[in-house]
Amino acid sequence: MMTIELIPAEKFTLQELTDLYNQTRVDYLVPMPMNANRLGDYIHDFDIDLARSCVARTADGEVLGLCMLGVRQDQAWITRLGVLPAARRRGVGLALMDCMLENAKSVGAVATQLEVIKDNLPAYNLFLGKRFTETGEYLVMRRAPHPSSGPLHGNVDWLDADQALEIQRSYPNHLTWINAPESMRNARDVEGLRLKLPDGSAGWLVYRNTKYTLRSTLSHLIIHTEQGDPNEVGTQLLLNIHTHYPHHDTYAENIHIEDAHLPAFQTLGYFENFLRIEMIRSSNI
Amino acid sequence: MARILYIEDIQDNITLVERIVTSRGHELISANNAEKGLEMAFDLHPDLILLDLGLPDADGQTLSVWLRNDPTFESVPIIVLTAWPEEVARHTVEAYNLDGYLCKPFTLAQLVQIIDTALNKKL
Repeated sequence: MMTIELIPAEKFTLQELTDLYNQTRVDYLVPMPMNANRLGDYIHDFDIDLARSCVARTADGEVLGLCMLGVRQDQAWITRLGVLPAARRRGVGLALMDCMLENAKSVGAVATQLEVIKDNLPAYNLFLGKRFTETGEYLVMRRAPHPSSGPLHGNVDWLDADQALEIQRSYPNHLTWINAPESMRNARDVEGLRLKLPDGSAGWLVYRNTKYTLRSTLSHLIIHTEQGDPNEVGTQLLLNIHTHYPHHDTYAENIHIEDAHLPAFQTLGYFENFLRIEMIRSSNI
Repeated sequence: MARILYIEDIQDNITLVERIVTSRGHELISANNAEKGLEMAFDLHPDLILLDLGLPDADGQTLSVWLRNDPTFESVPIIVLTAWPEEVARHTVEAYNLDGYLCKPFTLAQLVQIIDTALNKKL
């Protein structure tokens, strides 16, 4: 029987955590490795508490896996769970999950949420076993930069970060952790636009505009129709943003599979990368 | 002989592809992240680029935008080699104007064929 030690992730360097995370994901369904800079941004933007995140290792100091915990007021979020391929089926994932749930409880979280890629059955079953229940399925979509076609209608107001964050507060539906107002506030690159069409239809779009060395990327799109047909309003919002930013690659993450704006996304050339399932567990269980 | 740039973060995959490519008389150069891949593409002018979609600094889709939008690489074939689902690879190739894809695991014969086809098309 292997002894598993759980060490707070704060005891490791960002590079060590990055290397371990990447090693746990080499055979993942959708491999998405990170570098230390990206992991640093992730920790910052999503309120990861490294003191309450864990690295699993043997008594000999051999690392086995890791898991991170985001904490916001009375909510917690489990993320980056990964076990090295050679260490799987030995209870490491279970030990990491137990540690995260215990840490969530210790900070007073009334609920803990997480996301799992659809068809990742080992992880999904682990979470079910820990009494997480599904709350919804979310699409991760991409759009390559290309000229948008279609006439632009209505009046558009472009919003700066403060205005975009303010309008996002009126969003009536549930947002997953990475698109929640706290995540967008933590990011330094939020923008938005508000649209009013001649027939009185109206809506808004909030997003992140991240500048890289050579190109910029639009991501974390949150779209809302205040009045009118979501397909028409959504199409105009997306047409405006892609006309305004014709060379930006776009990554729309965690759009609910029943979002009324999905036809608009498809019209504008978005395609599915993969599906995530959000799950939640009450701390009272 | 062609110069082939493979942008991939897993060394085992690079080693495997290198064996196949060099046995066919080509030269393989490699980069383990998007930034280095871009730098090598500009400095070393490859005849063909093999691109992994899951890279640590920027994913392959974003990197392909950087490459395709530069006139230097307009006619350089870009082939996606990925562990991502086939549907995603196919959509990526169509949407990002790339030249083909192979989903892992693939056979050596499939890799040789897609490289030969891409290089012949370029010539």
